[in-house]
Amino acid sequence: MSILTKRLRPRRTVAIAAASVAVAMAAAGCGGGGSGTPGTPGGAGVPGLGGTGVVDQAVYDAAPVAADADIPAGSTMEKIRQRGKLLVGGSLDAPLLSQQDPVSGKVEGFDASLARLLAKYIIGRPEVETVTIGTQTREALLRARSVDTVFQTYTITPERATQIAFAGPYLTSGLAVAVKKENTTIHGVQDLAGRKVVVGTNTPAVTALPTAAPGSEQVAFATDPQAVQALLQGRGEAYVQDFTLLASNAKVNPGMKVVGQPFTTEPYGIGLNRDDAQFKEFVNNWLTKIQADGTWARVWQATLGTVVEGGAPTPPAIGSAQGS
Amino acid sequence: MNPFSGYLTELGHGLVTTVELTVVTTIAALLLGVVVATLRICPVPLLRTVGLVYVEVLQNLPLLALLVLFVFALPQLGITFPLFTSAAIVIAAYEGAYFAEAIRAGINTVGVGQAEAARAIGLTFSQSLRYVILPQAFRAVIQPMGNISIALLMNTSLAAAVGVVELTQTANNVNLVEAQPLLIFTGAGLAYMLLALLIGLVTGRLERRLAIVR
Repeated sequence: MSILTKRLRPRRTVAIAAASVAVAMAAAGCGGGGSGTPGTPGGAGVPGLGGTGVVDQAVYDAAPVAADADIPAGSTMEKIRQRGKLLVGGSLDAPLLSQQDPVSGKVEGFDASLARLLAKYIIGRPEVETVTIGTQTREALLRARSVDTVFQTYTITPERATQIAFAGPYLTSGLAVAVKKENTTIHGVQDLAGRKVVVGTNTPAVTALPTAAPGSEQVAFATDPQAVQALLQGRGEAYVQDFTLLASNAKVNPGMKVVGQPFTTEPYGIGLNRDDAQFKEFVNNWLTKIQADGTWARVWQATLGTVVEGGAPTPPAIGSAQGS
Repeated sequence: MNPFSGYLTELGHGLVTTVELTVVTTIAALLLGVVVATLRICPVPLLRTVGLVYVEVLQNLPLLALLVLFVFALPQLGITFPLFTSAAIVIAAYEGAYFAEAIRAGINTVGVGQAEAARAIGLTFSQSLRYVILPQAFRAVIQPMGNISIALLMNTSLAAAVGVVELTQTANNVNLVEAQPLLIFTGAGLAYMLLALLIGLVTGRLERRLAIVR
């Protein structure tokens, strides 16, 4: 301490310091608690999970298991079986697709259930270890074999197919438009030209918007709850995101509504290592099996079917997307 | 398409935003740092407490939490800043606490005799600070302040999470189309490294010219 403060009685300085530390800690505690709030209002806890959104245990019990003949020695499938669990790259914050229940710690949703069914098919038990990955690193993790598969609304594109392999598509979805409840000027993507639009970082909306709504200005947020909050706070006039995600958001959030029909077709694939044609064929065979025996439709009905009306759709044909 | 040549305009815009954010924020954080450091050594106990609380609160909260809080909680109270402004304010406030501590460390290196002599010739607190203490204090902590500036540059990448389209966000967007994460993020990393080296070079030069050899 310089002479400027030394002039004061030192004992008092210590007391002041202690008191201010206490104040600072109390303030820090308040701030830390508050930082949780911005995420919650948009996400409103765990939509769909609880009664609905969780696939029945009976579906897993009835799901098929691969015959030993399908798992040759030295194959990826055999390594997974010996390890006793499937390493899945996925999200923990996508409602109805792959969302972690903060209480039980279990990951539930369409993607998460399919991953567990694939684990059951290979190992005999639905044992999955979900590795939380960012959308930026999926290709790198698959190439490094840090994960066996990626179930993460992973749109099949020819560019991505040069890096990794896609099994499937296992689900087709599309981008749609959501606006605030009181908005009456925007009826679909055609009305977005030249407007400010909220999107999610690293979602297909970032690349689809420039052609679908020329001149629109994007405001990108890292997570879906943040984007919903940004829409409700007027940082953009509309929020463009996957239709099912928007539908589940609108269900728990009376302040927003989905307008118009999906305006793109996004074929979602299961990301795999590119040099493993055997594993890709194996996963495709499994997909064909669970689509034929009705497991796929049951999983869809229990998850996405809780917000999308009209019953389970026809699953997309394996290999129908360019790049799969 | 080649991930770099095809997107040079976008990546360039991102880089410019990063540089803008860094420059604006560094200046603001430095000014704030001087003010807070002054508070922490001033003779009024209440103001010293204010300075201490400021530093402890800002240093002990994660920057990302502060950013998210500022961007999403303030509009609930009816105050909405543009995203770039929000990010600049939060990063400046956060790094200001670190600058304040560095400057205070600098002030402590100035000999007690200097302050005593300043007061003895009749300078007021603020005069002795301005003409005697701070000019010497700054010279002692040029390197630490350079390090904080580099940390600040790296921290600007967190602004991507709240919608500021800077270098990291641009790299994300390019990667979304090209699916070449290793290449694109290595490129973005190199750009950050070059900027950091530039800051290091400038502070190194400044230190050689200005440091007091004791």
